[in-house]
Amino acid sequence: MTSADYLPILILILIAAPFAGIAILLPSVLGPKNPNRMKQEAIESGMIPFADARRRFPVQYYMVAVLFIIFDIEVIFLFPWAVSLNQLKIFGLIEMGVFLGILLIGYLYVWKKGAFEWE
Amino acid sequence: MSIVLLSILKSLALIILLLTGFAYLTYYERKLLARFHVRRGPNRAGPFGLLQPIADAVKAIFKEEIVPGHVDKLIYIVAPALSLIPALVIFAVIPIAPDLRLGGFTLQFHVADINVGLLYLAAIASVATYGIILGGWSSNNNYALLGSLRTAAQMISYELPFGLLLAAIILTTNIGREAGTLSLIEILNQPRPWWLWLWLWLAFPMFFITMLAESNRSPFDLPETENELIAGFQVEYGGIKFALFFMAEYISMITGSAIMATLFFGGWRGPFADPGTWYGPIVGFGWFFLKVVALLFVYIWVRASVPRIRYDQLLQFCWKVLTPLSIGYLVLTALIVVFVG
Amino acid sequence: MTDAVAEQSLPFANAVPGAVLAADAAGMVVDRKKLIEFALHLRNHAGFDYLSSLTAVDYLGFEGRTAADRFEVVYHLFDTKKGGDGVVLKVRLPENDPQAPSLVRVYPGADLQEREAYDLFGITFTGHPRLRRIFLWDGFHGHPMRKDWKEAYYEEEHKPFGSRWPVGNHKWAEDRVPWGDNVSFPKGWDPATFQPAPPPLPTIHEPPWADENHIATERIIINMGPQHPSTHGVFRMIVALDGETVVGLEPECGYLHRNHEKIGERNTWLGNIPFTDRLDYLSSMSNNLGYVLAVEQLMGDKGKPPERAEYLRVIMAEMTRIANHTWAIGFLLNDLGAFFTPALYNIEERELLLDLFEAAAGSRMMCNYMRFGGVVRDVDEDWLTRARDIIFNRLERKIDEFDTYLTGNEILMARCVGVGYLSAADAIALSACGPQLRGSGVAYDLRRARPYSIYDRFKFDVISDDGCDVYARYKVRLGEIRESIKILKQALDDLPGGPIFNGKPGYVTRVEKGEAYGAVEGPKGELGFYVVSDGSDNPWRYHVRAPSYINLNTLGPMSIGYKIADAIVALGGIDIVLGETDR
Repeated sequence: MTSADYLPILILILIAAPFAGIAILLPSVLGPKNPNRMKQEAIESGMIPFADARRRFPVQYYMVAVLFIIFDIEVIFLFPWAVSLNQLKIFGLIEMGVFLGILLIGYLYVWKKGAFEWE
Repeated sequence: MSIVLLSILKSLALIILLLTGFAYLTYYERKLLARFHVRRGPNRAGPFGLLQPIADAVKAIFKEEIVPGHVDKLIYIVAPALSLIPALVIFAVIPIAPDLRLGGFTLQFHVADINVGLLYLAAIASVATYGIILGGWSSNNNYALLGSLRTAAQMISYELPFGLLLAAIILTTNIGREAGTLSLIEILNQPRPWWLWLWLWLAFPMFFITMLAESNRSPFDLPETENELIAGFQVEYGGIKFALFFMAEYISMITGSAIMATLFFGGWRGPFADPGTWYGPIVGFGWFFLKVVALLFVYIWVRASVPRIRYDQLLQFCWKVLTPLSIGYLVLTALIVVFVG
Repeated sequence: MTDAVAEQSLPFANAVPGAVLAADAAGMVVDRKKLIEFALHLRNHAGFDYLSSLTAVDYLGFEGRTAADRFEVVYHLFDTKKGGDGVVLKVRLPENDPQAPSLVRVYPGADLQEREAYDLFGITFTGHPRLRRIFLWDGFHGHPMRKDWKEAYYEEEHKPFGSRWPVGNHKWAEDRVPWGDNVSFPKGWDPATFQPAPPPLPTIHEPPWADENHIATERIIINMGPQHPSTHGVFRMIVALDGETVVGLEPECGYLHRNHEKIGERNTWLGNIPFTDRLDYLSSMSNNLGYVLAVEQLMGDKGKPPERAEYLRVIMAEMTRIANHTWAIGFLLNDLGAFFTPALYNIEERELLLDLFEAAAGSRMMCNYMRFGGVVRDVDEDWLTRARDIIFNRLERKIDEFDTYLTGNEILMARCVGVGYLSAADAIALSACGPQLRGSGVAYDLRRARPYSIYDRFKFDVISDDGCDVYARYKVRLGEIRESIKILKQALDDLPGGPIFNGKPGYVTRVEKGEAYGAVEGPKGELGFYVVSDGSDNPWRYHVRAPSYINLNTLGPMSIGYKIADAIVALGGIDIVLGETDR
C-alpha cells in the first residue's frame, strides 16, 4: 500500500470538480438575463425580511456541536482497535472496555445534565 | 502511466453512471410516489415519461441564473459544487462488480482500492455537510440559516451512531481471518458464517436510519422541511445550482444504498457472479444493481409512508436511543469476535 | 314572542342597575358605560360564557335612526353548558364619538372581532391592547363598511346595476372610470414617497426559565407567509424564534380580503347565496344553509321549507362535513410532513362526495344549492342509489382504514399529542368553535345546543375529546365523520317525497324588516350569519361570523412555547380556509 493507491481518487476529484464547475457556469451562458430588484430580494414568504441573517446563532445548536466533538472523535479511535482486535484478544477487549467506560460516564453525565433536551 | 489513463476512464465512467443513476432515480421516485398515491406520475415526455429527467435537466440549464444581491457571492456559487463533489467522489471505493480477467490483464470495477475504505467513506460523508452549511449560511436568509444550522446539528449527530456501527462491522471482519480490514473489497472477500449474517442484519435497521438521516431523507429531511422552512438551506437557490444540491442528495442516496448493499447484503455477490469468468462482471453488476434498486425502493417507500419527526425529537432519538443502542451493539460484537470468532 | 324574550331577559336586565336601556325580541340595548360590568355579570352569574359573534352595524339613513345612535355594536352571547338561545347585547354609539369599551378583558375572544369592527367601521374599542387594522393596510383611507364610504369604481348602492340589467350594455367599470375619481387617499398621501409602516413585532413571551443565569440569545423574527407552503393560503404569521422555540406570534390576515360583507350589501338577498359559496370554499353547502336559515327567520311562513327540502339540506350539509374533514385530516398529515399519501387517499373520498354534489347542484365546489324556502333542484332515484352506495357501503370502511393507519402511528402521535394545548376554559374564553372547541373537551355543538333545521330528529352523538391538543382535534374530526355517516343513513332512509320548494321561484325575495342571527355547525365550527333588513330587496347588513377567522384567536396561545414545527401543526389543526378568514 503506497500513496499511489490514492492517485485514482485524486484523478476522480479532478474530473468531478470541473464537471460541477461547468454545470454552474453553463446557465450564465445559455440562460436569459433579466435581473430586477425583486429577484434580488431575500425570499421570506413574499415579505421584506425584518433583518438579514448575519447574526449570532441560537446557542442550542452549539451544544450539539460540542457534544459531537466530545464523542465523535472517540469513535475514530475505535477504528484501528477494531481492525486489530484479533491480535489484541482479551487485552484489547479490556482496554477498550475501560475506554468506553470512561466515555460512558461522560455520556451519562451529559444526559443527566439535560444536554440532550432542546429548550 | 497506464494507471492514470485507466483511472481517468474509470472516473469518467463512474461519473456518467452516477449521473444517469441520479436522473433515473428521480424518475423512479416520481413514478413510485405516484403509484403510492394512486396517481400515474410523469408520462408525457417520451414513452412512459422516460425522457422526463432529460427534460428537467434541459430546463434547469436554460433557466435564468439569479444571484441575489444580499448573498456572499463566492461561497453562494461554490457551495452547490462543494455539495456535489463529495457525493460523486465517495463512490470510488465501492466495488460494483467482480474482477474481469482477460489474458494477463485484470480489470477491477472500482476506481480505487485503498486499505482504509470505510474510513474514507466516513470522512467524505462528513465533508458533504460543508456544502449544505455554507450554502445556507451564504444565502443570508433566515430560513436558509435555520436550515443550515439544522443540517449541521443533524448530520454531525448521526455521524456518531454511523461511526459506531461502522466500527462494529469492522470488528466482524476479524472473524475467521488474521486481522480485520477497512477495505470494502476485502470485506466482500471475507467468508461469513450464517450466524454472522444474522447478527449483521440485526444492525441493519439502525444503520438504515443513520443513512436516512445522513442523506437528509424523509422522515429526517429537517434541513429542507417545506412545511416550516419552505426549502431550508436551498431556499435562495434556483436553476442548475438548486439541481446540484438535488443531485448531491440523490447521489448520496445511491451511495448509501450501495454501501448498505455491500456491507449487509454481499454487494455484487450472488448466484453466477463468479470472479474470473467472462460473464461474472455482468451478472455481478446485475446483482449489485438489483440490491441497490431494492434499497432505494425502501428509501422512497419510507418517504411516501411516514410524517416527518420534529427537530428536537430527531436529535433526542439520535442521542438517547440510537447512540446507546449502537454502543451496546459494538460491545456485544466485540465480545462475539473475541469469544466466538 | 317579543314579550317572552323581554321577560326572559329581565332577570339579567335588572342585575346591573341602569345597564339595560331597552329590550325587545332582537336583543337588549346596553349603556356603553355599563357594558363591561353587565357583560361580567352575564359571564359570571348568568352562564353566558361564550361570545359568539361581535359585529357592528351602520344605521346611517335607516328609518328611525339619527346621528346620535348611528352605530350599533352587536354582541351575541351563548351558554356552552346549557345551550339554548343566547342573549343579544347592543351598544348604540353616536356618529361623532364611535367609542365602545373593549370586551377583551371579559371575553378574550373579542380580540380579532373588535379589530375587524375597528378596521371596517372605525369604531374605537377603548382598552383593546392592540387595536389596529387587520384586513386593510395601514394607509387605507376610510372605513369601508360605513354606509357613506364608496368603493373605487362605485356604480350604485344596490344590484342589479342599471348599466347591466335589464338593458345589458355591459361595460367594464375600469373602462368607465379610468383611475376613477372616486379613488380616495388619506390627506397628504403621495404614492411616490409612501413608505409602509414596519409591521408590528410580536410580543415576546419570555420562557419561564429566563432568569439572570439564562444566556440571552438573539431572537430571530421571521415572516411565515403569505407565500408559504403550509399556511393554507395567503395567511401570514410573524414569528419570533428563540432557536427552534416560538416566543412570539402575531397573525396577520387580509391578503385575500375583498370585503365580502360590503359586496353582500350591494347584492340582492338571493344573489348572496352563490356568494356564500366563496367563503369557505371547501364546504359551500354548509355556508348556503347558514345563510338561508338566517334569512328565513325574517320571512315568516314563506320561508318554511317543505319536508323533502329539509332532508336534502341535512344530507348535503353532512356530506359537506365529511368532505371537509377528510380534507382537513389529509392536510394536517401534510403539515406533519407526510408526503401527500394520506392527503390523496382522503381526497379520494371527498371526490366521490363532490361527484354527488355535481350531480345534484351542477357544481362540485360552488354548489349554490339552497334557496329561501327550499332547495333549487331535486335529486332523482339514480342519485339516491349512488349516495346510498357510498354512505352505506364505502365510507365507514374507508374511515376505519384511516383510523387503522393514522391514529396509532407513532410519529403522528409524537408530533400531535400534547402539541397546541388549549384548555377548555381558554377555548371557551377565546371563542373557539367546532373541532377546536370540542377537542378541548367542551361538547358544544349547535346541532344539539340550538337545534336548527331538523337535526332534533336524528340520533347522533356530539364528539368531544378532552385531550386539548392537536391529536384530540384530529380524533374529533374522525369521530364527527362517523357521526355524519350515522345522520346520513337516517336521513337517506327517511327521505320523504313531495315538493322541494315552498312557493314560486322568483328573483325578488320579500324579507321583512328586522334582524336575525342564523348559525349552523359548519365543518369548521359555528358559522353564523347576522342579517339586518330594512324591508328592501337588499340586506342592510350582512355579517358573517367566520369560524376559521375567530379560531385564529387561539393560534398565539397554542403556539407560544412550542417549537416552530408545532406552530405549523397547530395551525393545521385549526383547519383554516382563507376565503372565510379574510372575507
